[in-house]
Amino acid sequence: MKYVLGRLGQAAAVLLAAFTVAFVLLQAMPGDALMIKFENPELGLSPDQIAALRVAYGADTPLPIQYVHSLLGFLGGDFGYSIQSGTPVKQLLAEVVPGTLLLASLGFVAAVLLAVGITILANLPGLRRIADVFRALPSLFVAVPVFWLGIVLIQVFSFQLRLIPVVNPGPVEGLILPVLTLAVPISAPLAQILIRSVDDVLGYPFVAVVRARGAGPWWILSKNVARNAVLPAFTMAGVLFGELIGGAVVTETVFGRAGVGRLTEQAVSQQDTPILLAVVLLSATVFVVINLVVDLLYPVLDPRLGARKRGIARISRERKVVAV
Amino acid sequence: MPSPRRLIAGLATATVLALALAGCSANASTPGSGSSSETGKPVTGGSLVYLEHQAITGLYPPGAGFYPNGGIVNNIADRLVYQDPKTLEFEPWIATKWESNADATEYTFTIRDGVTFSDGTPLDAAVVAKNFDLYGLGDAARGLTVSEAINNYQSSEVVDKNTVKFHFSAPSPGFLQATSTINSGLLSSKTLDLPFEKFGPGNAANIIGSGPFTVDNEKIGTGLDLVARKDYKWAPKSWSNQGRPYLDKIQITVTPEASVRVGALLSGQAGLIRDVEAQDEKQVTDAGFQVYAAQTNGVNNGLSLRFRNEKLSDIRVRQALIAGIDREELVKTIYTKNYPLATSVLSKTALGYVDTKDAFAYDPKKAATLLDEAGWKLGSNGIREKDGQPLTLVVNEAAPQPRSFDALTLVSQQLKKIGVDLQILKADAGTYAKAIQDANQVQIYHSMVGRADLDVIKSQFYSKNRNTLLNRDNADQSIGDPKLEELLQAVASTADPKARIEASQTVQKYLADQAYVIPFFEEPQVFATANFVHGFSSESVGRPSFDAVWVDKQ
Repeated sequence: MKYVLGRLGQAAAVLLAAFTVAFVLLQAMPGDALMIKFENPELGLSPDQIAALRVAYGADTPLPIQYVHSLLGFLGGDFGYSIQSGTPVKQLLAEVVPGTLLLASLGFVAAVLLAVGITILANLPGLRRIADVFRALPSLFVAVPVFWLGIVLIQVFSFQLRLIPVVNPGPVEGLILPVLTLAVPISAPLAQILIRSVDDVLGYPFVAVVRARGAGPWWILSKNVARNAVLPAFTMAGVLFGELIGGAVVTETVFGRAGVGRLTEQAVSQQDTPILLAVVLLSATVFVVINLVVDLLYPVLDPRLGARKRGIARISRERKVVAV
Repeated sequence: MPSPRRLIAGLATATVLALALAGCSANASTPGSGSSSETGKPVTGGSLVYLEHQAITGLYPPGAGFYPNGGIVNNIADRLVYQDPKTLEFEPWIATKWESNADATEYTFTIRDGVTFSDGTPLDAAVVAKNFDLYGLGDAARGLTVSEAINNYQSSEVVDKNTVKFHFSAPSPGFLQATSTINSGLLSSKTLDLPFEKFGPGNAANIIGSGPFTVDNEKIGTGLDLVARKDYKWAPKSWSNQGRPYLDKIQITVTPEASVRVGALLSGQAGLIRDVEAQDEKQVTDAGFQVYAAQTNGVNNGLSLRFRNEKLSDIRVRQALIAGIDREELVKTIYTKNYPLATSVLSKTALGYVDTKDAFAYDPKKAATLLDEAGWKLGSNGIREKDGQPLTLVVNEAAPQPRSFDALTLVSQQLKKIGVDLQILKADAGTYAKAIQDANQVQIYHSMVGRADLDVIKSQFYSKNRNTLLNRDNADQSIGDPKLEELLQAVASTADPKARIEASQTVQKYLADQAYVIPFFEEPQVFATANFVHGFSSESVGRPSFDAVWVDKQ
């Protein structure tokens, strides 16, 4: 329990750091959202008019005060307004977070299934001859640009075969292609690690013992190897979250889905600070939560870790060696 | 431990990704007119799927120049007068008649009876006055800007229920046309009281106009529906449809990816798409679909040479740049026949156009001679130098303009042949916004502007509007070429229509003679429609008008 509380405290510190760093970095960038919005020559505003607007937006408020103001706002759940459009950031996020969350979790589940499938195929005794093909798949998958994959899938399944519409798809139809697009590149590193750790575990002496006692290859793979091989892949899963966000940006754009990725892309292009702060904080939160969950689940997967509750620090150090 | 390295790595990944995407988005601009052929008898009812390139960013009319915004405003808000997109002549719309005094400092409009906003409130002289007080003066406290199209606005005066008068501090001959643009879309009194935030995404349904459509079912970032007003009966006389819109509904869906828009059209999932890229046009027409290139009737897509920069201060260098660019090859290679070669700084279909194409002839030999004369000698690496300084120039990538980067890349290759090193600025929005305001960073500015009024040339070049030449230096506010300022002022403030046209022509010739500009092509706004869609047309800068659109497929 104390451990969990400690972890929560750390999480809060990480979030505060993320907020502060993001705030400073965004301020340090050249130009600002007001400049991008109002000094855009397309509006044709005169310097006096622009100056008046800057004052109205409080751009002359000292930075430390702006920081404290934003921080207090965030603590109270008020993320401010988008500078570009004026819409409350909370409202913008509320519209897109559920969609992205659904896309990301389904994409992740699909990626895990894909990775496990590839690993099994690469190790099935009956398929030894073509195992190399499956072993090469992760390298191929990781090399496929998400953008290109999305367009190819749309071209084939929507425009050529006309199986799934991209315009006005049903709730399930609309998820199939984006989830697949997202899953392929995420599955690649997972599959790579899984295959390698299966190879490693197969070389352990205990496998030879099990084999000597008459266990078939399938039995060894499913009962003895799987559990031991999954741990490194599990660590990797936490790290892959970053890629999930990156993939979502592209996937959402190609498929025209509203989502955190697209919101971020637009906010970045306009340097829309309130949105970006909220997105950074949101990402950091999800990241912290996922890592917390991964760490808490370790003992469940590997009883050896659970047995030494007091040695948590040492275990983490060990795990980091695996993760890096 | 929570392994902070991973956390930081994740944060860094997210941030870097976000930053890397900075250059990927495009913003709007403006566009001409086109209309589809009429076949058969219009059918009332049905709906249309329209795939837009980008999501709306706000519907405050003076700030709605961004294309997706303007496309909505054009269909939900009426204007005082209607400008025919082909003849560019004016006809009554909400105003039944109008008059102005001799020096164009006073305009009187008579407002039509019986027009209502979609919230049921009447559209009368008082609300018209309230509209223009806001658009003409702005309200900085609420973050609401002045309309670029309205010059010298002073005050309004409600004479009676149907008559409104506007007063100007100086002649404002462009005002009549200004009242016809989407930037002067008439909104209900309640809407005009909204702060800037409430004009943004998420609140589109509450922007109340008197137009043929209303907004419904908005999903931020994804799209919205335009729903027909069944009681609409105050269309301009020249519209083919005088009653309610034929369609019940237009579903506008944001589809950022160009190939997906084209594919969706060709596979029957959409009826209308915007922003067909030049390289995709053939695919669309080959499949038997219609391409509509709506002309934008304003300042052509092209380059402004910032003559106050040291390197470009010599007219011979500017002339050499013009002579060194093969505009014909550019248009032929990068674009299609829907992008006509420019023959003046203004489009052929723009008001006041005068042909100055001789000033923009391609002549690489002459270019080389001019640069030699100006003291720029060829260096060992093929780039010219003077006093040890290479002839390196920077041009901005105009992200909203079609294939800007491709076009500039070709121009850069052409200029290399005469020993000029042209770099293309591609940057995040903040860096970009700063750089384009500084002639030491960006010496050549790529842009265009669409507006079907003589004022358009002033909008582009005047020191207090777009200032694309940076004639007004942002550092010290000084003016480099006072004569240009004077000529531009004359366009915006000469009351006599004929003299005003002459004023515009003087500017066009002056810009050509001084080698201040290199116009490329007359920029269209390119749409494509399925064969079951009829009656599609656009207003004078290419924003879609849906009132007369009908479909013969249920």
